[in-house]
Amino acid sequence: MSGLSKADEAQLKAQLQHAVVACTERCLYQSAKWAAELLNSLPEDDEDGSDTDVDSPMPDSSPPSTPIAVTHKNPRESRLEAREAHKYLLAKTYFDCREFDRCAAVFLAGSLSPGPSAPTPPQPKRGAKGKAKVGATPKAKVADDDIHRHSEKALFLALYAKYMAGEKRMNEECEMILGPQDGGVTPNKELPVISAILKEWFSDPPEDREPQGWLEYLYGIVLARGKNEKDALESFIRSVHLYPYNWGAWQELANLLGSVEELSAVIPRLPQNIMTFIFHIYASQELFQSSDQVHSTLLQTLSYFPRSAFLKTQQALLHYHAKSFEEAEQIFSELLVSEPHRIDAMDCYSNILYVMGLRPKLAFLAQVASATDKFRPETCCVVGNYYSLKSEHEKAVMYFRRALTLDRNFLSAWTLMGHEFVEMKNTHAAIESYRRAVDVNRKDYRAWYGLGQTYEVLEMHSYALFYHQRAAALRPYDPKLWQAVGQCFGKVGKHMNGIRAYKRALVAGSYYDTNVAASFGSGEGSGLGGGILDPEVLYQIALLYERINDVAECAAYMELVLAQEEGPDYEDGSGDPGPGVGVTPTTSKARLWLARYEYMRGMYQRAMELCNELSQDGVEVEDAKALMRDIRARTQSSAKA
Amino acid sequence: MATRYLTAQKICVVVLVKLYCESFLPSSATIPVLSFILSQVQPAGPFSRQLRGHEAKYDPSISIRAFEEVLQKLDAIMPGRTLLDMFLQRLWDVDSFDALCDLFGGLGKLLLHDRPDYEPDPGEQPQSRITLAKTSPLGAFVRRASLEFTRLQFEAAVKLWVSFVKYRAPTIRWVHRLPDLAESGADINAQKMDLQPGDGLFDVAYGSLYDGDQGEQALGMDDLERMLDFQIEKLQRIGDRVPEEMKKQFRSMLSVKGVALRQSYLVQFFDAWRAGDYTSAFENIHRYYDYSVQTREKIHYQYALLHMAILQSEFGCFGEAMAAISETIATARENQDMNCLNYSLSWLQHMAKAHPEQLKLHGYRGVLGSDREGLAFLKAKAKETRVYSLLSNTLLEEAKAAIASGEPTTRAFEAVYQASYLHLREYVHQNFGHQMVMLSTLWSRLGISHLTDVHCDMLIDCYQEVSPLEEGIRAQTRRAFSEMQNGYFDTALRRLQFLDPSVRRTLKFQKLVYFYIGLIKLKRAIRRTDWPACTSLLTTLSPDSTSDSEVSFLLWEARIDYLLARGLYSEAFNSIEDCAAKLKMQNADVLQRTTVLLHKASLFIAVGKPERAFSVALRAASQSWKSRLMPTLWAAVGVLATVLNEVGEFRAAGRLVEGVLPQALEYTDQELTATLYSRLADSYMGLAGQEDVASPAGVRKRAKNVSLAEMYVERARTCYKRAEDMYGECEQLMKKAMIARLRGDEKRADEYAEEHNQVWDQARERIMDTATVL
Repeated sequence: MSGLSKADEAQLKAQLQHAVVACTERCLYQSAKWAAELLNSLPEDDEDGSDTDVDSPMPDSSPPSTPIAVTHKNPRESRLEAREAHKYLLAKTYFDCREFDRCAAVFLAGSLSPGPSAPTPPQPKRGAKGKAKVGATPKAKVADDDIHRHSEKALFLALYAKYMAGEKRMNEECEMILGPQDGGVTPNKELPVISAILKEWFSDPPEDREPQGWLEYLYGIVLARGKNEKDALESFIRSVHLYPYNWGAWQELANLLGSVEELSAVIPRLPQNIMTFIFHIYASQELFQSSDQVHSTLLQTLSYFPRSAFLKTQQALLHYHAKSFEEAEQIFSELLVSEPHRIDAMDCYSNILYVMGLRPKLAFLAQVASATDKFRPETCCVVGNYYSLKSEHEKAVMYFRRALTLDRNFLSAWTLMGHEFVEMKNTHAAIESYRRAVDVNRKDYRAWYGLGQTYEVLEMHSYALFYHQRAAALRPYDPKLWQAVGQCFGKVGKHMNGIRAYKRALVAGSYYDTNVAASFGSGEGSGLGGGILDPEVLYQIALLYERINDVAECAAYMELVLAQEEGPDYEDGSGDPGPGVGVTPTTSKARLWLARYEYMRGMYQRAMELCNELSQDGVEVEDAKALMRDIRARTQSSAKA
Repeated sequence: MATRYLTAQKICVVVLVKLYCESFLPSSATIPVLSFILSQVQPAGPFSRQLRGHEAKYDPSISIRAFEEVLQKLDAIMPGRTLLDMFLQRLWDVDSFDALCDLFGGLGKLLLHDRPDYEPDPGEQPQSRITLAKTSPLGAFVRRASLEFTRLQFEAAVKLWVSFVKYRAPTIRWVHRLPDLAESGADINAQKMDLQPGDGLFDVAYGSLYDGDQGEQALGMDDLERMLDFQIEKLQRIGDRVPEEMKKQFRSMLSVKGVALRQSYLVQFFDAWRAGDYTSAFENIHRYYDYSVQTREKIHYQYALLHMAILQSEFGCFGEAMAAISETIATARENQDMNCLNYSLSWLQHMAKAHPEQLKLHGYRGVLGSDREGLAFLKAKAKETRVYSLLSNTLLEEAKAAIASGEPTTRAFEAVYQASYLHLREYVHQNFGHQMVMLSTLWSRLGISHLTDVHCDMLIDCYQEVSPLEEGIRAQTRRAFSEMQNGYFDTALRRLQFLDPSVRRTLKFQKLVYFYIGLIKLKRAIRRTDWPACTSLLTTLSPDSTSDSEVSFLLWEARIDYLLARGLYSEAFNSIEDCAAKLKMQNADVLQRTTVLLHKASLFIAVGKPERAFSVALRAASQSWKSRLMPTLWAAVGVLATVLNEVGEFRAAGRLVEGVLPQALEYTDQELTATLYSRLADSYMGLAGQEDVASPAGVRKRAKNVSLAEMYVERARTCYKRAEDMYGECEQLMKKAMIARLRGDEKRADEYAEEHNQVWDQARERIMDTATVL
């Protein structure tokens, strides 16, 4: 069943094992964890042979076949590493004790003062290959000897520690979440220094040095934090070419991709290996692309790693994005059973349970999560979601806030907190929360949509329109978003645009219903063929047509609304009622409109029928009765005449 | 961490309340169910405890069995089902954490909404349910429960849920009987996901269920606080330390919680204080108030100082106590805390009374002017602020002052009865004991020992529960003293030696009891002329600065007795002179001053200078008469009679003694009675001597007087014998022998002499026995 040959599998294992060690050596704990999880999700070997198998491939396969091992062969690096082994151990222990400055000082003692007080200089848009900038050199020059004296591993550890120290200080300087001083723009003050050193290091390589990819990764991070995304992207691509098993680099890469187009532009430039597959799945998921191709890639990868919780999570999330909640819930539930202590991505699970309204289960999830670790942002989000579902918004906000205190970049908490603020009618706080969410991750359509909604509440429709459009661009097949766009267009008086947006919503809706991509532009006809259309959307389109005085079109859409009561089979004349929506307030409103319209046109007979239907349905009875009286009066008077 | 209020069994009570409200209970079940619920939700308070008496005590840690027992007996409205079935059905309907949240979320519907804009849901049938008024006991409980649940953090709520699951687990055997509940497990989610105990996920969620860690959640914070409050009340008001086993139990309860309640330091403080552990008491009071500062800032400061002052004085550091109390008063004035101010003033007043010289030594000049002004001020303040306990305290203090200064007893009675009225009307139960002690003092000074005993017994039997332990001990010692006066030394000693063990746990009381036992033994030793025992007892009992003036005076009195009995007259004289000077300076209790006078007179008689004794005794008698100090009056009369006998005024002496003897008999002091009888016999003897033997009438009169004298000698002898006064008894026997010889009855005289020797020898033997026992 596994798509990998024994030899491939053994090699993969060796590489992953090495990745775990290498990441741990560089204190990239999350990446190490990820690699270790993947390593352990490979199918188990035969039971009896396992204890020998685990050991046997290692010694013979790892040294020759892995490219990393080759880089390790680099004599210069080996020499340097051997020379500073003790210092490295010291630095590593400092790092493990979270004494970052001390760790950095082991290798870079005295060469660096804390970063200059000037804000992060915008990186030059020229290629990264360019000579070091004049302004940054004086300090780096001092360090020149230092940085080349150390092995790459040591340098990485030192600089990474420096980066971490900066992050730590940044977090310490941050104000209370959404407090008066909390602007979300506190910079990491170490970035310029690290950037300068790295630039120096890259610009002037000794002949016998072979880059290992780690420093490129760090440089990419620094560039990305400095909002120099293009160079950061390049740096990450270089890094994953040099060392593909550092998941952190892939993750950062995915964060830099804002759209599917960018993803497809990047893909060809990546190395062809299993990691790229996984990256592709991950990036597609992050970009809400749940196409068949992604699914098949995912299934294939899953066959290699049948027990990978990470891949299963991606699968569930893809289902979630495609709005097939049951499947997603099922996968997450299995995950929970198999790994009860795993909290990663449980906030997404809680979102699914929230949408499905499974409150007891959500409560259970929250119970499990908080039993494992109540100070994880994921746990706090789960609990917050639970309280939100119980309409205890203050408590929910408290927990989201706690999640954010634990991790300021925890995206879903920002968005969810925004939702809660909307519920609490605190629009300003809601806008700020959404804004922060968007700042953290521009791909979060819910935050964009939320921003739009909030501005709509504030009656700022043209503003809201922008955000709805962003949301709709991120998820072009979500009718809700298009509907919102259409509504905004209607409000700002761009009726034709509104109608187009609504029609798009219709198409998107039918796309999800039938899972067939319907073509645009074929107008209302195609909508009907796709199954049930949302009568509300149709009604809105009709109203917009009425606004631009296209009464005939309006009437046609009103008829369409009525048609949805019975479902698509109505037109076939087969008689048996299809799966229609039945009588709803919307259809009744449409019916009343039509009745009035027919009455105006003088089609008293049809108007009378419609009024009778209205009376039977028991909605808008008063209006219908009044209209009927008018009709009778007219018919009688015309009869007299 | 413990939840503040809610515990698993409170949830069960909530379920029961809901059951009560939402369904018809058969009328026969209503009262049992309601009383059961009330016994669980009754808020703590002095009144409720008083009213409920000893049965139906609040028990915060009842098991689910208690619910079973109560409910199983009651039938539900449905035939064939007990109320327990319905209760369990509802209990097990809470099948997930979410359901628990819903249970509490829906509690608001049980309450009567008085808001006009409230509209009931159309779905509910208002007639079929009971709505609770917000202020009713059940309503208050429901509101509190729902509020506390809302306040819970998520993790705490989950913990509560798990403890609830654990709590109701024993009822599973009942649940299996109910068809519609047969399948449901503890958690619907676990069941849906097909989880079993032992699965990883189940262990994460309910891991603590099977730890066997019983009782972690059995007590809420509220219960713990109540428990500590109980302890504090015991320690502070009653002055009783809890037994060691109970303390251990409390400690284990507290340690499980992992939370440090501030009150526990207060408990430790009082405990250390009562145990006489000065340093840890000090440490703990500081710790308690350090932790209190964070919650209520400066309000606690004056109370901290007040406690400190009392603590310091209790351990004899009067200088520090003075400083602390002065600052207390200043702070209380500044913060306008009338209660604290009045209390500290009253305490200071009390201290000035109890330890006048020590306070003077440390510069106490009296904040409120003279005593009387001080009391008047406090009384006015207490009335103004309606602090009845302070008012009654002040009244009792006033009575005490009136007694001590020798004013007419009516004033003292008036004050005591005013206080008594207050106690009954305003239910100032903690002062009942004080009142009883005061009354018994009054009666004893009036010489009516029966009423004294009755009041002491009343305190011991009826008010011991509510009054401080110290009052009870005072009553016991007083009883013991009166028994001793009556000659029942063994009963008295047994009474004190077998007091309730709780007394022994507090150092101060322990010392007090020890002192009284020693005193009784000392008196007995003096009467038995057991000098080695006397010296050893006198040295062990010698008072220090902390013992109160009453105790040291009693000891002094015993010492004078001892010195007189041994014939160490000059030493006795010096001691008496010192004491008299000191008492005069202190403006001390009139009883003590008269007693000093009496001793002085006895000394003069003993050294054979009755003329000098006369004026002293007369002064003592007139003073006693003025202040209605009957026992001293009688003793003074006894001394006077001696003097008169010495100077040959036999008739006057006889008339004096006969005047007081009937009253004195009622005051069952054997020694006093014996003395009086003996004086009477002396005067009759004297009269007999004065008769003219020449005339037959004279001879007859002499014979009559002699026989009267013999009768009184015999009576005196019985009394002396009961009082175990060896010298007195021997003296009377000698007199009898003399009378017999006078009559010419030599044989009888020899018998008496023999008896005399026997008594003497017995006394010697007794001394030897006690010496060997010692």
